Amino acid sequence: MMKDAFSTFHPIVNFTYFAAVLLFSMFFMHPVFLGISLLCSFCYSVVLKGKKAVRFNLLYLLPLLLFMAVLNPAFNHAGVTILFYLKNGNPITMESILYGLATACMFVAIICWFSCYNVVMTSDKFIYLFGKIIPGLSLILSMVLRFVPRYKAQIKVISNAQKCIGRDVSNGNILERAKNGITILSIMTTWALENAIETADSMKSRGYGLPGRTSFSIFRLDNRDKAVFVSMLGLIAIVLAGAAVGQNSMRFFPSLKLPSLTALSMGVYLAYLALCLIPVIIDTVEENKWKHM
Amino acid sequence: MQEKPLSDNKLSRRTLVAIALIVLVIPATILFGVFFLGDRRYYFISLLIIFYTMLPFIMVFEKRKPQARELIVIAVLAAIAVAGRAAFFMLPQFKPVVAIVIIAGLCFGAEAGFLVGAVTGFVSNFFFGQGPWTPWQMFCFGIIGFLAGILFKKGVLQKEKLPLCIFGGLATFFVYGGIIDLGSVLMFTPKFSWQALMATYISGFWFNIVHAAATVFFLLVISQPMIEKLDRIKIKYGLIER
Repeated sequence: MMKDAFSTFHPIVNFTYFAAVLLFSMFFMHPVFLGISLLCSFCYSVVLKGKKAVRFNLLYLLPLLLFMAVLNPAFNHAGVTILFYLKNGNPITMESILYGLATACMFVAIICWFSCYNVVMTSDKFIYLFGKIIPGLSLILSMVLRFVPRYKAQIKVISNAQKCIGRDVSNGNILERAKNGITILSIMTTWALENAIETADSMKSRGYGLPGRTSFSIFRLDNRDKAVFVSMLGLIAIVLAGAAVGQNSMRFFPSLKLPSLTALSMGVYLAYLALCLIPVIIDTVEENKWKHM
Repeated sequence: MQEKPLSDNKLSRRTLVAIALIVLVIPATILFGVFFLGDRRYYFISLLIIFYTMLPFIMVFEKRKPQARELIVIAVLAAIAVAGRAAFFMLPQFKPVVAIVIIAGLCFGAEAGFLVGAVTGFVSNFFFGQGPWTPWQMFCFGIIGFLAGILFKKGVLQKEKLPLCIFGGLATFFVYGGIIDLGSVLMFTPKFSWQALMATYISGFWFNIVHAAATVFFLLVISQPMIEKLDRIKIKYGLIER
């Protein structure tokens, strides 16, 4: 499988894209918008993860969608078109079924978008983006991300040392094993704290927090990023303009009412489709470029 | 470096500011949501409240330019909690995270407790997958650490096993379970209804019991050695009590 080309763009482009599609998917309760969002997130997750994504989407997300679609009419009895009554006398309405279906689509699309987000927006990109706004916290984040694998390695070191004196988790009966395990964790914790203070002192002596220091980053905003970023902002603006004139949502209760289909609404739909498809388009173009070289 | 004696039981001005912001900002957000957000109001009001509640902590923390030692202690505790969550991945809900967050709040104050909780919620989801549930988990872990810190400073909570276990169990069941379940109702169902909330609470009852039991268990086993270690580090290196 080829590498996702959209991931190689500047983090600000990646983040803006996901922020936009996630917020729009959460906000616009309109069948066309939900359909576009669901379809594009599905496509992109398949582009990113191949067969695994197809399996995940069909095995987990489809049942989730159906379950949630059923859940809503059970609790929500608003709406004027009554289809039938439940045994306890509560009515089941067409509006609440459709509304449940719409929210189910929305939720599944969001999960699907997040599964793409997890692949594209790696932690280093996030820390790069937010390092300037929340320097302290993003330093903590990057340290935590580093510490976890480091502790795993250190536990192995400690456990090997304990093995030499017959106090590893593989020695003795189950009670002794558990006790040895706890001892290893205890050694680990003490080591982690002592080591942390040393790291902090080392940071301080190298001038952490002094003014005028810059941080290293491997990201660069070049023309390719700028072009995609500007067109993305343009599409977002069109979609927002559509939202401002009420094109992007529909009324479910008390009765269904869709905004009428006009040239304007078609334009907004197309803009939204283009926005959601940006990564897929970029990936396809990139792949063709390599094929025809 | 020691600015205040350790036994000072007055709440800091920072804590009061945070509380005031929470109290003022939440009603404003709800009003905004009710008047402007229309259909998606329940989910968005709740999300905004979560963000607003976390914001003062983060702003205050960044504004006072934390020292390297302080940063790294928070990072270590969060890393231990994340590793703990990862180590018990095969047992659903049976996680030591809340226990570690409570101990952090106890030993390093309410603010550190909140940050350890929120960072743990955020970072562990880099391993388990980010999603619409991330802000809720960050908030719940954070607020439990915050509560532990405040209650300890006010003298309600002591560094002893029994009160810690009682607090841990109750906080996990009611604060964590209660808020997370509310969050999933707001995520899953479009219109908030009390029946849906009740149904979620009932179906989540055993999950929350298991989670609370795990917290009590871990507090029982690790609280004393952990507190001892943290206090030792604090005394040995003269870390500032805030």
